[in-house]
Amino acid sequence: MTVIEEQEMLQGIVPYLPARIANAVSRIDFSHTRCLEEIRVKAGLPLMGVFSGYDRFISEEGSLSTTAQLGLPVAGCEVEELFYRMCEHSVYAYQEDIARGFITLRGGHRAGICGSVVYQGEAIKAIKDISSVCIRISRQLKGCAGDVFLHILRGLQDIYNTLILSPPRCGKTTLLRDLCRMISEGRPDIGFPGLRSAVVDERSELAACYKGIPQNDLGPRTDILDACRKPEGIEMMLRGMSPSVIIVDELGSPGDAQSIRRAWNAGVRIVATAHAYDLEDFKRRLNIGSLAEDGGFERYIILGLRHGERIIRVMDQNGDQRYCNHEDTGINYGLCGLNGNRDEAVLKASGEAACAGQA
Amino acid sequence: MKLSSRLREKQLALAKLNEILLQLENEICGLGVPLHKAFEKLSRMASNGAWTALLHALANNMNERGTDAGMAWKQALEEAACGLPFDPGELGLLKDFGDMLGKSDRDMQLAILRMEKEKVMAMESRAKEALATQGKLYRNLGALFGAAAVILLI
Repeated sequence: MTVIEEQEMLQGIVPYLPARIANAVSRIDFSHTRCLEEIRVKAGLPLMGVFSGYDRFISEEGSLSTTAQLGLPVAGCEVEELFYRMCEHSVYAYQEDIARGFITLRGGHRAGICGSVVYQGEAIKAIKDISSVCIRISRQLKGCAGDVFLHILRGLQDIYNTLILSPPRCGKTTLLRDLCRMISEGRPDIGFPGLRSAVVDERSELAACYKGIPQNDLGPRTDILDACRKPEGIEMMLRGMSPSVIIVDELGSPGDAQSIRRAWNAGVRIVATAHAYDLEDFKRRLNIGSLAEDGGFERYIILGLRHGERIIRVMDQNGDQRYCNHEDTGINYGLCGLNGNRDEAVLKASGEAACAGQA
Repeated sequence: MKLSSRLREKQLALAKLNEILLQLENEICGLGVPLHKAFEKLSRMASNGAWTALLHALANNMNERGTDAGMAWKQALEEAACGLPFDPGELGLLKDFGDMLGKSDRDMQLAILRMEKEKVMAMESRAKEALATQGKLYRNLGALFGAAAVILLI
């Protein structure tokens, strides 16, 4: 992203923020904002930013620190104000989103919310007394799947059933989004004409629909079913939209495997993602691990991070490696290690998993 | 005569406000439209008479200044006060209308709107009563003063 694009992206978020927080975020140095991934606002606690691989407390002047006391303390009324602004001062218009735990903002950014959960029977009806908000900044990296795409092509008219595996925060949704765009738009440079695609966007992360309009470019041949559970969504798409490819994010629930098999039986290609460190780890996953045994997925894309490098590997169903790439993310791994056990553990584990057999 | 027509205007304005509340209920609880859009839509309806300017200001306050419905309503009511046929006491009764709008789920919004409708209906019935009693009085006084003036001129 260019400096201007980055500034525009941040300007899209600032209007939602209460004055003091907006002022602090606007004053963060560009060298940091370009890798800003999340803004975390908690009542009674200091303002925090999560950057690529590390987190920092943000002071009133926009400077970053590992010391919580130097961060701008957020008042409860500011969290409330932020929440109402995100809902356009119309909570009822977002009550279904709120019950799911997040609100999609203009620009495709997503705000997770925490507070006291209100149940109606078995279902969550609402979240009240909002205590913290986490704004995840959406960045569409067009072209990031350029090389990988060549390895999921079946000839020049079709694609392989593909599964993207990675631990959290390694970029699988970003990669899937770009693959979706390429599949739908086609690649004239290699003679791939593009395929009718259907996205079942259960968590509104791929298309990031804001009032029904996708905020991310998923290509001209893509139909999007927003906020729909995957099993029902896949069924609806098969029946109603006759897609060539169905694209879904984060397989995991009990019905997912069955609906994926149904799509395969209908001759539709599937491109999906799942949380796993590698293929063996995926096979052990409850509910969905059996999909790997079926041999339905013909390509596996495995993502990981090691020493600040992003590792992308493409394997076929036999486990043979087809492609491997190491990309410098610009993340200072030493810095990452300072930020608590969780990040360090995730980074190490994901790195080790994705780099298995590479040493 | 002027006082009598003001009473009639007041009664009509309150009846119209009741209609607006009904439309707002549909926009909020039926369609789930955000408040600023609902107010914008209602302001475009030519039949909203004296309330059109207020609804327009309300939508603008919410949209451009980013204020909540309570604050936006108070500001819009102040701006539009001179165009509405209400005395300060009645405006005071309407002042708090927006406070709870937009801050809860649809069920709660419905309850709030119904409560407001009851309040407006009570104001309307008082205005009707006033029109029936004081209106007649003002009209008779007007006719009496007119007749007196004619007699004096003769």
